Amino acid sequence: MSMSNKQIEEKFLQKEEKCIICIPGKMLDTFSHATVQLYIALVARQDDHGLFIFSVNKFPNPSINDLDIDKVVPVDADLRTVSEVPDISQKKDFYVLHLKSKFINAQLVLPDHTSTATFLEELTRAQSVYSNIVAFGNPPTFAWLENYNRQNDNPFAKDVFDPFVKNNQVKKAEALTKPPSLPVAPPRRMRAVHIRNGQSLPPPVPDRPRNMKEPISQRITDLSELDPLRKAASKQSLDELDIDDFGGSSEFPDVQKMLGLGSSEPSTESGAKPVSARETIVKYMMNEREVEFTDISKLKIFVGTWNTNGQSPPISIAQWLQVDPEPPDIYAIGFQELDLSNQAYIFSDSAKETEWQHAVKSCLHPKGRYRKVKLVRLIGVMLIVYVNEKHSNKVHFIDSDTVATGIMGIMGNKGGVGVRFTIESTSICFLCSHLAAHQDELERRNQDYRDISSKMRFKQFVPPLTIDEHELVFWLGDLNYRLNDLDIDTVKSMIKNSKLKDLMSYDQLHRQLGRTEVFKGYSEAEVTFQPTYKYDINSDDWDSSEKSRPPAWCDRILYKGGGITSLKYRYHPELKISDHKPVSDLFDVEVRVVDEEKSRKVYEDIMKQLDRLENDYLPQVKLDKTEIILNDVKFIDTKEDILTITNSGQVPVNFEFIQKLDEPSYCKPWMMASPSKAVITPGKSCEINISVYVDKKSAAVLNSGEDKLEDILVLHLNGGKDFFISVSGNYIASSFGSSLEALIQMHGPVREIPTAQLVEIEQPGSLVKRDVLNQGGRLYAIPKEIWRLVDHLWQYGCDQEDLFQQPGLNKEIQLIRDCLDTGAPEKIPGSIHSIAEGLLLFLESLPDPVIPKSVHRRCLECSNNYLLCKQIILQIPEYHRNVFRYLCSFLKELLSKSQNNGLDIKFLASLFGDVFLRPDHHYVPTSSKSNKNVRSVAKEEEMKRAAFVYHFLSNSIDDV
Amino acid sequence: MAREYDHLFKLLIIGDSGVGKSSLLLRFSDNTFAGTYITTIGVDFKIRTVDVAGEKVKLQIWDTAGQERFRTITSTYYRGTHGVIVVYDVTSGESFANVKRWLHEIDQNCDVVNRILVGNKDDDPDRKVVLTQDAQRFAEQMGIQLYETSAKENKNVEEMFLAITKLVLQSKKEQMKKQADQPSDAIKINGRSKDKRTKKCC
Repeated sequence: MSMSNKQIEEKFLQKEEKCIICIPGKMLDTFSHATVQLYIALVARQDDHGLFIFSVNKFPNPSINDLDIDKVVPVDADLRTVSEVPDISQKKDFYVLHLKSKFINAQLVLPDHTSTATFLEELTRAQSVYSNIVAFGNPPTFAWLENYNRQNDNPFAKDVFDPFVKNNQVKKAEALTKPPSLPVAPPRRMRAVHIRNGQSLPPPVPDRPRNMKEPISQRITDLSELDPLRKAASKQSLDELDIDDFGGSSEFPDVQKMLGLGSSEPSTESGAKPVSARETIVKYMMNEREVEFTDISKLKIFVGTWNTNGQSPPISIAQWLQVDPEPPDIYAIGFQELDLSNQAYIFSDSAKETEWQHAVKSCLHPKGRYRKVKLVRLIGVMLIVYVNEKHSNKVHFIDSDTVATGIMGIMGNKGGVGVRFTIESTSICFLCSHLAAHQDELERRNQDYRDISSKMRFKQFVPPLTIDEHELVFWLGDLNYRLNDLDIDTVKSMIKNSKLKDLMSYDQLHRQLGRTEVFKGYSEAEVTFQPTYKYDINSDDWDSSEKSRPPAWCDRILYKGGGITSLKYRYHPELKISDHKPVSDLFDVEVRVVDEEKSRKVYEDIMKQLDRLENDYLPQVKLDKTEIILNDVKFIDTKEDILTITNSGQVPVNFEFIQKLDEPSYCKPWMMASPSKAVITPGKSCEINISVYVDKKSAAVLNSGEDKLEDILVLHLNGGKDFFISVSGNYIASSFGSSLEALIQMHGPVREIPTAQLVEIEQPGSLVKRDVLNQGGRLYAIPKEIWRLVDHLWQYGCDQEDLFQQPGLNKEIQLIRDCLDTGAPEKIPGSIHSIAEGLLLFLESLPDPVIPKSVHRRCLECSNNYLLCKQIILQIPEYHRNVFRYLCSFLKELLSKSQNNGLDIKFLASLFGDVFLRPDHHYVPTSSKSNKNVRSVAKEEEMKRAAFVYHFLSNSIDDV
Repeated sequence: MAREYDHLFKLLIIGDSGVGKSSLLLRFSDNTFAGTYITTIGVDFKIRTVDVAGEKVKLQIWDTAGQERFRTITSTYYRGTHGVIVVYDVTSGESFANVKRWLHEIDQNCDVVNRILVGNKDDDPDRKVVLTQDAQRFAEQMGIQLYETSAKENKNVEEMFLAITKLVLQSKKEQMKKQADQPSDAIKINGRSKDKRTKKCC
């Protein structure tokens, strides 16, 4: 029957933790006098010790697998242990161990066995180890025990029956994955204890350790997160919601801000968008529409209060609790001066508490079966709440708190205790208080009220709930208010003459109720019974003692909230053990019941509404067109159109033209959109200039039909939709950008050649394919366009200064283009400089440069050897070689007139080196040091190109 | 802080131009129907949050241009899609014939994705040319569910979107389960024993 240390360690403990000893025992339930089987182990982690109490699921002969950790108690200064050894003379053959700390308050019965003696020795030793450590100023935190205690020391759990446990059961990890609709089973341990015990465990200690607060509130938050219906339905969660955020306005809150719309990037492919405020809005909106899915249900609540003057209960208190024909749904029974013993101030347990609890329990209405919701006691002030079993599954979120207002504001001889819970969807709070006594202490009483109502906090909620945040509040107790301005005899005579109404007008509470801030909002049913204080014990006679207190209505029941009707406010003079008479009030109370089906519908509706809102707040624009057609686009002619984007949505739009998959830019090289990105505020427009410009780089592919003037721009609204904008135009083919191979096949101007033919002759190898010569056709030796340009320069420009150095005019170059492409006018228009640039542009636009790309590498390699250079030239296609020779001859001719035009060979070699051997224009960064090498290579290649051409300008080219 | 949703799924609606893709989306997201036809030039999306067996699923539904000339561009929007809704027009045999092409398009652009076939404009029996049984047979062949809907009359729209959502959710769960089962034994044992310990504390 004993558990080995090893078994305990393996099953329950962490590696660093050692079980010193584990022994069986029993826990004495002081109330029911039942005993619960258990095991208790002393566990060490280095110098820290903890007591582990295990519940036993199977008895007798439990195995290690039948144990569950029930409680973990640190062995620290707070733990007080008193052990009673066996005493044969009194037929006591067992040890009794009292354990008392903020974690535990229990009496254990341990068998008379050597192992028990060892256990107690070890426990004493552990305690002395602790004091030694503390003496060194380094008290342990016992953080290692928190893991074990976390789920255990649940303030809900100990005092609560099964259905309630559900609230506390949603564990953090599960909470997020488990569908909320599934009922969560109560923990095994709790059930086991409950069944075996028949009663709940010993009363809870009012304060729970600070570190427990976090997980509990976390749990509640998780629960509310989980189940939107429940959450929205329960007032608790509504209380949680910070309504102040909405400024109390009935107007719809600034949803845009709350949704986080318009400011942050809404959801795109990237996924989640942090719209955490949405849940808050859902809660708020559910709250707003609560009437749509809640029905009113009526409950009977019996509220009773009695100052028992420290007495033990009489045989029965049924005359107080059972006077109504039908059983109430809820009992809230309050006591004051429950325990006047000095012990009550020092120890938190009280024999009176169990006695009275038993008395109440046994005298609840026989027609109903009741379950305890919560018992809370502060010295002599105690409150017990019971609920009819049939409602037990509707009670949630139970919590309690105490506020002491006695001497120095901390002693608990005066003060208040509260129990709150939610039944169906309505939150209820019961307050039991004992306010300051004596005729003259009216202000003290009022202050006590203020202290209690301001300090009471139900801390399991985040933020903690106050009394006033409850829909229904019942405040009961010995409020101690007295009668003013009357002498004792007058009072007595008025009572005798049944002038209670008149007498009430002298009541301190009655006088200020509804007129001051004290008990603001509270009501009291009409008092039709005589004062409940002060009587001689065991009689109905007024106080005959020396003090001879005047009668007063000390014991009162107040209420606050909608839908409360007092049915019977009365006192119970039959109970005479105290100097006070008990008082009770039976209430009819309206609570809201959620219709789950309706609630779901409203919830769905709200979700839809919010979704719609979110959709409305997506960026929206209107475009004046989605198709841009540009007619007759010519080489180096800019064609433009304006696209107007208007922000038609509610949020600023951040738009951008984005590149399509696998494309280097958002558009083809011949197009540009300006601006390509911008922000437009709602209602405003942005004009985007879409321009098309075919230059020397893009002309070739358009001429050859390899590409068309067609593109689709993707206009992306950040966080929103994409528009496709088609841009197209028809390109007017030009000799610029045509290949030498094609050009020599063109007899007429390029514009007169049918497109199909142009495309055909632009295909590389078309010359061979078409076999023009054998077909009786004619080929130019060199393109007529080049001839015309060169001839013009030779005729009119040989002596022109700064030839090839001064730029031409765009307009004139366009005229030159038209002249070449149409064949007219005969004389090329424009200045010499424009024509010179036209020639360069023409050569630079060739798809394959004058010296074909395929031999460029070799040209550079042998640029220092004229013979090799010549050999390369001899190998290139004839129409390339012809153009090369022609141009070189022309350049030599120009050089021969260098005295007039100022040209020098190096300049021309360099210029035409880049034209004849046109390098691929790689991007060469100019700044980065690491690219120094790349740049020096580029420079070297440039020199080689010049050297190559230099040979042909400085030597005879007759044999080329 | 509260989470807005448990799952976020991206759905894509594809199909020939004019079959009613945008109308389906508008009906589902805004519960509206515009009689006038506006070609979608681009891609648009709407969101809607639905509750599937207690789980909040946020859907981001992308509506694509159906026009042939945009085909290559729209294909880039298939990335990251969890479910594809292929729509044809029950009054247009051609649009139904093209479904095969659209399914092919999905295969080319997505690895594994849930699909659903939707015959829209199912509100005028006189104009219906794609018979239910033919479509059904085809859907079965392809192993996909068929829904005949009418965005105009709000017929089957909600059901269809919920069906594809459920499919996607189911796939996700299966995948998660697979992943959970996959890790090596060492991790598994470790993880399990840890679980045990946690449980014992309850």
